[in-house]
Amino acid sequence: MPTAFPLPSDLSPATVSNTASLLRIVALALISGAAIASRLFAVINFESIIHEFDPWFNYRATRVLAAKGFYEFWNWFDPTAWYPLGRVVGGTVYPGLMATSGVIYNLLHALNLPVDIRNICVMLAPGFSALTAWATYMFTKEMKDESAGLLAAAFIGIVPGYISRSVAGSYDNEAIAIFLLMFTFYCWIKALKLGSALFGTLAAVFYFYMVAAWGGYVFITNMIPLHGLVLILMGRFTSRLYVAYSSWYVIGTLSSMQVPFVGFQPVSTSEHMAALGVFGLLQLVAFTQLVRSHVSSKQFQDLLLIAVVTTGLLGAAAFVGLTYAQKIAPWTGRFYSLWDTGYAKKHIPIIASVSEHQPTAWPSFFMDLQFLIFLFPAGVVLCFHQLRDEHIFVIIYAVMASYFAGVMVRLMLTLTPVVCVASAVAFSSLLDTYLDAAEPEEEVAEASGTAGTPAVASKKSKKAAPQAEAGNAFTDIVAAAASAKKGDSPKVKAIYGLDTRLAIIVNALGMLAFFVFHCTWATSNAYSSPSVVLASTNQDGSQHIIDDFREAYYWLRQNTPETAVVMSWWDYGYQIAGMADRPTLVDNNTWNNTHIATVGKAMSSSEEVAYPILRKHDVDYVLVIFGGLLGYSGDDINKFLWMVRIAQGVWPEEIQEPNYFTPQGEYRVDDKASRAMRESLMYKMSYYRFAELFGGGPATDRVRNQQVPKVGPTLDYLDEAYTTENWIVRIYEVRKEDLLGRDLKSANAFAKGKKRKRSKPLSRRRALL
Amino acid sequence: MLLLPLLALLSLPFTRAASPDAARQKLVALAAAGGGLIKLDAASYDLLTAPNRDWSASIEFTALDPRRRCAPCREFNPSWNAVAKAWSKTPQAHRDNHFFATLDFDQGQTVFQQLGLSSAPVVYVYPATEGPRATGKTAFSKYDFSHGFEAEPLAEHLSNHTPIRIPYSPPFDWARWTTIASGLLAFAVTLRFVAPVLQSRWTWAIACILVSLVMTSGYMFTRIRNSPFMGGDGSWIAGGFQNQFGQEVQVVALVYGTLGASFLMLIMVIPYQTSAQRQRFQIYLWSAIIMLVYSILVVLFKVKNRGYPFRLLL
Repeated sequence: MPTAFPLPSDLSPATVSNTASLLRIVALALISGAAIASRLFAVINFESIIHEFDPWFNYRATRVLAAKGFYEFWNWFDPTAWYPLGRVVGGTVYPGLMATSGVIYNLLHALNLPVDIRNICVMLAPGFSALTAWATYMFTKEMKDESAGLLAAAFIGIVPGYISRSVAGSYDNEAIAIFLLMFTFYCWIKALKLGSALFGTLAAVFYFYMVAAWGGYVFITNMIPLHGLVLILMGRFTSRLYVAYSSWYVIGTLSSMQVPFVGFQPVSTSEHMAALGVFGLLQLVAFTQLVRSHVSSKQFQDLLLIAVVTTGLLGAAAFVGLTYAQKIAPWTGRFYSLWDTGYAKKHIPIIASVSEHQPTAWPSFFMDLQFLIFLFPAGVVLCFHQLRDEHIFVIIYAVMASYFAGVMVRLMLTLTPVVCVASAVAFSSLLDTYLDAAEPEEEVAEASGTAGTPAVASKKSKKAAPQAEAGNAFTDIVAAAASAKKGDSPKVKAIYGLDTRLAIIVNALGMLAFFVFHCTWATSNAYSSPSVVLASTNQDGSQHIIDDFREAYYWLRQNTPETAVVMSWWDYGYQIAGMADRPTLVDNNTWNNTHIATVGKAMSSSEEVAYPILRKHDVDYVLVIFGGLLGYSGDDINKFLWMVRIAQGVWPEEIQEPNYFTPQGEYRVDDKASRAMRESLMYKMSYYRFAELFGGGPATDRVRNQQVPKVGPTLDYLDEAYTTENWIVRIYEVRKEDLLGRDLKSANAFAKGKKRKRSKPLSRRRALL
Repeated sequence: MLLLPLLALLSLPFTRAASPDAARQKLVALAAAGGGLIKLDAASYDLLTAPNRDWSASIEFTALDPRRRCAPCREFNPSWNAVAKAWSKTPQAHRDNHFFATLDFDQGQTVFQQLGLSSAPVVYVYPATEGPRATGKTAFSKYDFSHGFEAEPLAEHLSNHTPIRIPYSPPFDWARWTTIASGLLAFAVTLRFVAPVLQSRWTWAIACILVSLVMTSGYMFTRIRNSPFMGGDGSWIAGGFQNQFGQEVQVVALVYGTLGASFLMLIMVIPYQTSAQRQRFQIYLWSAIIMLVYSILVVLFKVKNRGYPFRLLL
């Protein structure tokens, strides 16, 4: 066979395969290094700090686990959260993440490496991303081959869609969950391919780990049954499928029920019913197959078929009946809102209010996946081309995940692995085709009338022809396999000439390089901010750190009694608990909608209405986030409408959203702001004394670009306690009741020396008498 | 001085007792004439919202005349009528304690001015001020359209103000079920001809690819957020990273599709080309297409994300 470029002749196949496996190990090590390194921007630009909101709770829980041991953690009741209700942490948490850090912590200490628990928490996500790269390699290897696997590992190692949830410091459940997801899927594919109960059990064990780590385990719970169902419908039922699924389902379900937070859900909620249903279906199908192979009578077979179909229908009817009898809980709101996209906004505003539950616009897809996003359909087509059992899995995964990612931004995370796998399959197919040295037979070339290439090619072919087989045996097999599929005309798949190869390869390498630049840029610019610490650039280009959040939390920690209850919107609950160590009314756990609505009502009603609520809940301090001075757009005034909406859900009579808009329907904070808006506690606390800052000049809110009134709001029931350097966090102290029993408003007026006005109704009554 | 207000106070119950009954009879007659819905004008509006009423009322302010060009009004009106009709079927003892009414802009401009209404449709609920159902509140409350113009949430909300629940149930959707049934029937009949298409893997491949292309182009975003197909000023790219128009879905899906198809050409079709000349031409052609379309995509992305530092050919 002629080749396009010379191949080394004196290599034994053993040498080639040994070198290849060594290179693979080196490449995987480098990919792991790159995956970890690219997640360290946050540590280098800022410091080794826990990011955002939820990680603060995970960190706090991990500290409890590391200090007091697992049993204490399991029984931990936290009286400071959801004051005055408290929270049973052990039973309402996915403990996988904390347990992992705890094990690593104890292991390192057993080795006499006294590493701080915070550093373990900060570095956990980058560490697991290296494992994710490896798991993706193993998974993709099952789809195509090792080279595709390496590409997939490299893609997932640096793709922003995954980095966004796993930078150093982002100590959240997703940090370990994606590794578990990919490894469970790998074990499942392996179990299905080999019909191995061992791999089925392994899949179940990792499924258990996943259940313990992340609520997103439901994705696996439904993906694997769906794959099984599609295989049965396609007539691809095999005993391998039976063994793999049964071993996964039985062990996986029983073990997942050991997690207290999950409990009996696997047998009592709709999310898990698909898995149970497919399990039953598989038993029926397997039974039919077994009896068929033993019984010859045609009539009996018919009877059997009828019996099996009836059983199936009865089973389905039982599901429906149990759901109506409310033995099986209907879908939970969060899950249901994935299908009926208007559902959450109508019925559970608290789910709709979370920014990561918003739908995804196309730029986010490109930002997070770059060129993988358009290679991905090509990869799916290649999966259809081969369509082995495992390819069906990738196809189902691709369709489901792209829908979910479109509905919710945070589910981009589940789409990312399959995009990496599918585009790696496509990209490595491209490279395989154009790196293959084999040239088509000469007569074909000459027949087409090319003048230059055949001569060159023939010269080379004389030298290299014998070795082509040995050196590139693998790609030949692939090419042969591909062409064999094409049917009866055995076309040869090959490329003419060197320039064409070069054009494609240079193009491909250019795309990969662009991808690397894009990923580095996206990671360092968009995904590496801890959001606890903000950064801005000075005029000379140097970095200016805005540290208002920690300033305020440490103020609370140092200047208030340990029992002082702090009220804030739920976003900041975990941070206050983690950094200020003070009791909070509501936090990011959001399990009690009424309690959150109470806080929303207090924030959105006038001082007189809010004060009794504050006093009843023993609130000592109220904390608001205000970005108007600095232009920090994630502040409470921008979130205010959600507070109103959530409060309206519980008290539709007292709080009404339209009241907070101007008659023209605008959301304003300036002179034209509606009365309800101007009188709300949130508005008052945000703009209290704000105008004074401008010394009589126009006071501009830089987030909303509006001029606030020169005479700012006054507060009668609260005192300003602390305002941070850039005014981002403002803390107010709730006044105690007046000692003389007056209401605080008149007490205040009296203290200011104002005369109490005689109101008119009084005088009229006097006239009447 | 003292006698006059006392007299007025004394006479008040009588005027109250006399006029509401007459007014109620009148309103009942009006409602019966309108099939459960009172068509208001300025005079009957005053009657219905008289300060001493022991009935409650919900009034829709609308502008149905085509000249007024109020599309939302026409969209909302059927729901309103359906709820009013549902209320007219309640027992008379309850029915006559709450009235449904509609005031069209062309019949009561003065009322619109008086209430300071500049937009329609608006629904006000007037509570009873006297009698057993008086709550102490006299001011009307406004219905919040945040749940859309559908009848169901409207009936749900108004039920809080009526003596008994409004017995509204959504009408049976004949059109929808007929469509589904006929679709299933057509499918069953043509199954023999459709089966080979359905069993072909490429049918499914095309379906899957289309779904993932459309989804990754932000289709669900436009669905959930109800974004317009294009901007009001004729622009088809929405400003901002977290925003997009309907047309962008098509353009971006087309771009992704072209790029994906070009790669598939390079992987699956061109290697089987038997003529070297033609193969070389096709390789360069598709490579050029990839570079060009990719550049366009990057430019599009730059429009959405101004800070993006990279660019290709364009």
